[in-house]
Amino acid sequence: MNTSDSLTPSLGDRTRKFIKRHDVRMSFLYSSVITLVFVILGIWFYPKFMPRVMSEQMQNGKEVIVYFTVFSAPIAGSVIGIALYTFLNRHKGDTPPPDGPAIKTNTPVVLVWTIVSSLFCLLAIVWGLVEMNVSTYAATINEPKAVVVEVTGSQWVWNFKYPDYGVETQQLNLPIDRPVVFKITSVDVNHSFWPVQLGVKVDANRHAITTARTTPNALGVIDIKCAELCGLYHAYMESEGEIMTGANFNTWVKSLGGHVA
Amino acid sequence: MTTLSNKTHSVPMPSKSLITKLNMGTGIVFGILCSQAMYWLAKGWFDPEVPMEENRILTLAMFAWCIGFLIGIGAFIGPFRWLIGKDLTSEEQLYMAGEGQGISRYFKYCTDHKVVGIQYLIGVMVMLGAGGTMAMMIRTNLIQPGSRLVTPEIYNSLVGLHGITMIIALIVVSTGPFGNFILPIMIGARDMAFPRLNALSWWMLFTAIVTLCSAWFYGGIPTGWTAYAPLSVQAGPGMNAFIVAIIIFAISSAIAGANITTTVVAMRAKGMNLTRIPIFVIGATISVALAIPAFPTFMASQIMAAFDRTIGTGYYDANVGGSGWLYAHLFWIMGHPEVYVILIPGVAILMEIAPVFVRKPLFSINAAILGFAGIAGLSILVWAHHMYASGWSPSLNGPFMVTTEMISIPTGLIFLVLLGTLWRGTPWLKLPMLSVYAFIWNFMIGGITGIYLSDVPADDYLHGSMFVTAHFHYTLMGAALTGAIAGLAFWFPKMTGRMLHERAGYISFWMVQIGFNIIFLGMFAAGSQGQPRRVADYAQTFAVSDLISTIGAYLTGAGMLVLLWAVIHSWRNGKIAPTNPWGSKTLEWTVPYPIPLENFHETPVVTSDAYGYGRSN
Repeated sequence: MNTSDSLTPSLGDRTRKFIKRHDVRMSFLYSSVITLVFVILGIWFYPKFMPRVMSEQMQNGKEVIVYFTVFSAPIAGSVIGIALYTFLNRHKGDTPPPDGPAIKTNTPVVLVWTIVSSLFCLLAIVWGLVEMNVSTYAATINEPKAVVVEVTGSQWVWNFKYPDYGVETQQLNLPIDRPVVFKITSVDVNHSFWPVQLGVKVDANRHAITTARTTPNALGVIDIKCAELCGLYHAYMESEGEIMTGANFNTWVKSLGGHVA
Repeated sequence: MTTLSNKTHSVPMPSKSLITKLNMGTGIVFGILCSQAMYWLAKGWFDPEVPMEENRILTLAMFAWCIGFLIGIGAFIGPFRWLIGKDLTSEEQLYMAGEGQGISRYFKYCTDHKVVGIQYLIGVMVMLGAGGTMAMMIRTNLIQPGSRLVTPEIYNSLVGLHGITMIIALIVVSTGPFGNFILPIMIGARDMAFPRLNALSWWMLFTAIVTLCSAWFYGGIPTGWTAYAPLSVQAGPGMNAFIVAIIIFAISSAIAGANITTTVVAMRAKGMNLTRIPIFVIGATISVALAIPAFPTFMASQIMAAFDRTIGTGYYDANVGGSGWLYAHLFWIMGHPEVYVILIPGVAILMEIAPVFVRKPLFSINAAILGFAGIAGLSILVWAHHMYASGWSPSLNGPFMVTTEMISIPTGLIFLVLLGTLWRGTPWLKLPMLSVYAFIWNFMIGGITGIYLSDVPADDYLHGSMFVTAHFHYTLMGAALTGAIAGLAFWFPKMTGRMLHERAGYISFWMVQIGFNIIFLGMFAAGSQGQPRRVADYAQTFAVSDLISTIGAYLTGAGMLVLLWAVIHSWRNGKIAPTNPWGSKTLEWTVPYPIPLENFHETPVVTSDAYGYGRSN
């Protein structure tokens, strides 16, 4: 029987050998269910773990995660679905199973797979580049109106200086709806400045100034952490700050002896 | 190939030769003597009270240990003979191949690739055990906020040493034991291309591991496994052990890489043309070939760190014009290819296993090779995605995002090959085959979370958080280590002559895989909530996620102990294995156990690829 196999079979024969209706139907069923589960997890369950969104940058980051989960759900769903179907079709017994169909390759399948995964990749790239540039552009054109905060990391505290207001403190308070430019440096080892709810993060390097831009858009408490291992008390290099109304911010600045422009 | 041309008969004892008197014991004694001598000598020159001079003393003493050990075990007898215009006699070479020496050959500078393979296997198991114990301590310390099993200082060291121990173990976990023991037989070779270098690569790794362990006695390494400068320059004397261990390890892996690539290129059996090479051989070769350009930059980065620490150069010191970014670049130029050095052989093992247990040909081997090659090629162009948040050049984040996300295309081919092989099959779910399914699940999660991290806006939030830790454990442990354990279950009969205890294997498999998913799904949650990685303590917000992770860790740890029991028990008392228990078609299953010194009584001739399973409809 094998001799007929060694002759080159037609594309139709190869496709028929590869695609059996029952297998396709069952795999599709499993894949659809799993895809649905992933979509629900991505849209409804996962965002519950993310902290409060308090800036556009945080919104972007969160959206990217949710959308990517939804886009990748059909791919993950079909991979897991097909695997699950074959898993449930397993051979029982202590001797090797009978030989399966001798499918060495199938060019249309390889091509379709490669094209689909390339398109997904292209989507991820374009989406990411657009989101990134929109964020950066918005922050850059707002820069003249921005509050400048000079952030200095040292083992193991964050120090914040507001040059326009003549204030230096270890508490990061910011007015709502005004762009902020963080100019970040370190006096010793590398740290990473992470105001969690604002969705930005940049390393603090000695003798270098790095920049992060964001616009807080919700009132409330923010957590500031260090995201780069910086020695003994790295875990404790955290503080709290607050996004407050413009009036409250001005009052706070004055209470520290600063001047309001 | 060993330089012996014909197999022999009785084992001559070259009784007057120094070689017969040297072993691991003499190596350790001579290594310690050398390091002590160097220590006292250096102490005469330098003042141990000054940190920089103490670094000099310790670095020199650690190098002296490594060189002393290698002299003491007899690694340089051959090269020394060449210097005086001679070589080892044929009796001595036969003695070095270890035939007829029983257990003792595993403690010698043995040139037989099968002995080196077992040495690697035991070494890797010890490293995984040590790294795993440290992981248990880390998770116990994080069981609830404010818990203080260890001090922050010890915690930071645990994180660093767990990391680097596991990374080294995983780099060699597949290509060490199976690349040395199985690969030459698989291609029909009588030994590796350079048997003495093969032994050298293993024993250098041994000295590096011992050096790394010594870090505990000098205050540990407080920097994480990435050893970022300037923190590493500021760190205490334990850092010297890290630096020396990495330099030695880089040399060892270069030697092993050159050896495996040469063996595969030059020593395949007659008829094994490029289209007939088994996929594990291809995967292992691509992996070690990728390591050859990658690791030297790691070595260079550590040599520069050593200079900064011992003689006050300023490569990474911003005060005198250096830069921590330089270190980060050198590190990640190694660091990202290294991830694939670890991953590719693990995947290749699973691709070797799947056709055997589904009784179907490997689906589209060309796609598999293209996938491996594509991953290897792209992996050297993506390193700076680890540095999106470092601020070194925000304008280059875009290009690095493009190259990184492109890796999803060749990675997709790996899934295609495995799924195509499973498709329309009825898999025989023996222990090795179960791992194929575990891999598909774990690597799917690891891969997709990798896409989030490769995206700059999402990475701005997730970078440096527990999310990253969970992601790379899914790829390194969930995928690569799962592949290696599958390899152990698959080749155990050939390496030990006995079957691995099946029930214990299944119990271990499910405990490890379920526990593993509990740990790292919990850790994804913690990271998304905003918990930074490498923290000794954390806020109440993360308490539930961390508790879940810790419970999962205990389950995984217990599962690994079951596997350890299964391996030890089966090695001693397991069921005697038939020559080819799985009905596989690769060459290693044609040789009897115990495998003769040069593997084949008659050199095999290969007439087809190894995946000729299947019926015609």
